[in-house]
Amino acid sequence: MSLIFNNKLLKINQTMKTIKVYVCAILIALPFFASAQELASVVETVKKANQVPEFIQVRNQLERFSMSQPQEWLPYYYMAYTDIQLSFMLPSKDDKKRYLTDAQSCLAKLTNLSGANQSEVHTLKGFRLYALIASDPQTNGPLYYGELTACYDKALALNANNPRAVILSALFKNDMAKFMHQSYPDFQKEIEKAATLFAAEDTATVNPTWGKAWLDRAKAQK
Amino acid sequence: MKISARQNLEGKCLGKFLQLNSMKSKQMVNNNLIILMHTQMKKMKLLFLVLFITMANGFAQQRTLAGQVLDEQSKPMAYANVFIKGTAEGATTDTLGYFSFTTARKGDIILCVHMLGYAEFCRTISGNTLAPMLVKMNPDNVALDNVVVAAGNFRLKGNSQWGGMSAVDMVTTAGSTGDLYRSLQTLPGAQIVGESGKLYVRGGDNSESQTYIDEMHVLSPYTNPGDNVPVRGRYSPFMFEGINFSTGGYSSEYGQGLSSVLPLSTKDTSPITKIGVNPSSVGLGGGGTKAFSNGSMSVSLDYQNLGPYRAVFPDRLDWINPYQLFAGSSQIRFNPDPNIVYKTFIGYDRTTFTQQMTSPVDQTTRNFDMKEDNLYLNSTFQRKTESGYKIFAGGAFSLLNQQIGDATVAGDTYNNKEWEVHLKTKATKRFSNLLRLNVGVENFFRHNQTAYADSSVIHRASINHFISALFATANLNLTANLSAELSSRVEYMSIDNSWNYNPRVALTYNLNGIHFSGILGRYTQLPDNKYLLLNQKLLPENCMHTIGGIYYEKGDKVYRVETYYKKYNDLALQQPTVLNSEGYGYSKGVDLFFNDRSLFKNLEYMMSYSLNLSKRKYQQYTELTTPQYATVHNATLALKYTIPALKTIWGITDRFASGRPYHDPAKDGIMNSTAPFYNSVDMSLTYLVSKKVIVYASATNLLGRKNIYDYNYTNGASGYRITPVTASSDHFFYLGIFITLSGKTAYDVSNF
Repeated sequence: MSLIFNNKLLKINQTMKTIKVYVCAILIALPFFASAQELASVVETVKKANQVPEFIQVRNQLERFSMSQPQEWLPYYYMAYTDIQLSFMLPSKDDKKRYLTDAQSCLAKLTNLSGANQSEVHTLKGFRLYALIASDPQTNGPLYYGELTACYDKALALNANNPRAVILSALFKNDMAKFMHQSYPDFQKEIEKAATLFAAEDTATVNPTWGKAWLDRAKAQK
Repeated sequence: MKISARQNLEGKCLGKFLQLNSMKSKQMVNNNLIILMHTQMKKMKLLFLVLFITMANGFAQQRTLAGQVLDEQSKPMAYANVFIKGTAEGATTDTLGYFSFTTARKGDIILCVHMLGYAEFCRTISGNTLAPMLVKMNPDNVALDNVVVAAGNFRLKGNSQWGGMSAVDMVTTAGSTGDLYRSLQTLPGAQIVGESGKLYVRGGDNSESQTYIDEMHVLSPYTNPGDNVPVRGRYSPFMFEGINFSTGGYSSEYGQGLSSVLPLSTKDTSPITKIGVNPSSVGLGGGGTKAFSNGSMSVSLDYQNLGPYRAVFPDRLDWINPYQLFAGSSQIRFNPDPNIVYKTFIGYDRTTFTQQMTSPVDQTTRNFDMKEDNLYLNSTFQRKTESGYKIFAGGAFSLLNQQIGDATVAGDTYNNKEWEVHLKTKATKRFSNLLRLNVGVENFFRHNQTAYADSSVIHRASINHFISALFATANLNLTANLSAELSSRVEYMSIDNSWNYNPRVALTYNLNGIHFSGILGRYTQLPDNKYLLLNQKLLPENCMHTIGGIYYEKGDKVYRVETYYKKYNDLALQQPTVLNSEGYGYSKGVDLFFNDRSLFKNLEYMMSYSLNLSKRKYQQYTELTTPQYATVHNATLALKYTIPALKTIWGITDRFASGRPYHDPAKDGIMNSTAPFYNSVDMSLTYLVSKKVIVYASATNLLGRKNIYDYNYTNGASGYRITPVTASSDHFFYLGIFITLSGKTAYDVSNF
């Protein structure tokens, strides 16, 4: 009798334990789920931002995320991205320098962070160097040309179908060819490839999907 | 075994009892289970209730954190990031610096404020604080430094350092002819000593300037092309990512230099695999880099032969064998982690030439034959720890071996062998925005042996000694606008068993972007080996630097005025009968600098002027006098103009120096006359032929002025014979073609 009792008791206990585990798991996961939802919302803001205050606001949110979840790569990634965007938009050289320095430090953290999409990270590294060159082409062009090319090459070696790496690399090669009074013969082909890749990309994701504006710019340059 | 009836009955009764009990038990079990389930359900309900109450309570008991953030001038700070440390909870300040957000967190919290360019602000807020907070932010001095360095090519703390100078900047300065040291001579403080090519800074001798690669000392940084042929740096400027030049008042970390230091830093990473060649008017070079996932390896080879060049552009010297240099260098960089860098550099070069020299006294000739081997090995380790320490350790070995035939008269030989081991380690940490500390130790082990032999005498001399030093620097950000750097260096020198204490203090005050800086520092250096070989009891020479300066930068313009006074003591003095340390002297002056990139599009121009008044009683100068190398006025105007349509960068540099003193034995006193002034108009052109080919051309002294630096007087039967001292040729032409061979890179002149 006691055995039966014990067994039933055991079963009930186990069932209750299972329920408790589920409840606890839900309760534990709830903040993360909420956090993921919140991050998704912030990423959506990043994608829509086009004014300096909007970028700064969202950059601050990302900074808070990165500090509360230092093992997550996306907050650092988007922080670096907003830093670079701000460097394009702010007129002061000191501000450009500050934001690009901060972007460099975010990108450095991404180098060894597990889960980080290294093709996207290298694309962003190249994009940062592009911003540096844009801030002072005469001085920074010769300094960072090689490193920038290496970043895009690495990004494409890791993922040949990274649309951002495809279009940014093509744009830079075309700009340099124009500077040399030459033409970049694969420019059209690369634009078409990037357009196809962008079209196939799922934009309803927290993962990087920016860069279509650069495709439009490239199309305008054709 | 048989069972009795009684036993049977008892058994049946027992069975019945058990059956009854079993039924009761089942009922009991069911009852218990129901009770248990009820209990568990109650617990669950309780759990959910507690959770609900907790959550509801949390929502109900949220508190609001609000306040205002101000900058150092008490103006509202917009867009600052205000948040609870360790959480994503926070807000961004509005345009008036106000913030407000709610949190469910009870008890003490740490509220932080972040803003790029400002020091992080954090404060513990107790659970019952409800009043709005007022936060005042202070500029982050580290960030401020970095910005100033990059934007204005100055480093204010530590004084007079041109940060951010790149190899490309240097090469495109006309007259540099691709040489590190010649390019630095266009900056204020550096003096033009045309026949030498070495660095003479603010009235100091060239031996008072020290070169460091990746923090490690370089014993012999110059090539040896022969008498009155300007030297060049042994190492290509393209190797270096950072080139800083300090003309005085430098950190106590750098010792054994009385006048200036030139710290050069190689790249920590070289992520591009590349290969290239560069034929030039003086030789052929080539090399490349192989990049790996966690590091890279670079190799460079260079062969120079001035024979063909001299055939086209003859000079005033008689060359039996032309100047030839074979140089090879390699660097391995390893980055197992973004915070760790290992670098090892090795460079070897061999110089040979034979030059026919004629004695001004009796017109006899000799063949001055030079063979020189130079080896430099440097290995360093850097690590940034999670706790914020930067740790550095390094070792360097320099070897110079010279063998000279017909050194002073026909038939003699002179051998000079010198080596140095330099070991250094240091740790740096910023403990707060107020304090940053840098502490380290270093050792120099030095050896020098010379042997001179002619038909009648063999003379040998050697010295072995070491120098140990402990240095510490504290950077203090006293207020938002005032910073101080206190440093000291304690040195022990084995050669004379002496201890030296060198303190230094530097203050910088920022008044609305105008930086005022003052530095007072003491420096020591052992006398030149040629004197130590004769007298090992010579005292270390010392110099006190007093420097004051004003620096201002706005937009693309940089202004700088700096004045200095240097007092030398215990200098080696060669009296007629004794060599002692009773020499002394001073050097004082003003340096002016102006750089502008905004006058016209694509034009950059730089003006520098140095006034120097220097007198010394030292070495062969037995009276207080101006040394032969010192010039009172030095001025440079350098222009760079880019023409994108032609893919060219044009450079023109005009360099001027007033006449140098010289000794005319026909007059009273010493150093009693002045040579004519120096002037050289130089030009350079950089042309991007294609993305794989860059052509660089440079010509010096386009106006063809014959610059005279000194006069040699030889006593002959008919009086003094006067020979002007000039550079071996009035012009130097350089044409280099940099070709990138690897497929994926271009516009790259650096093999490293």
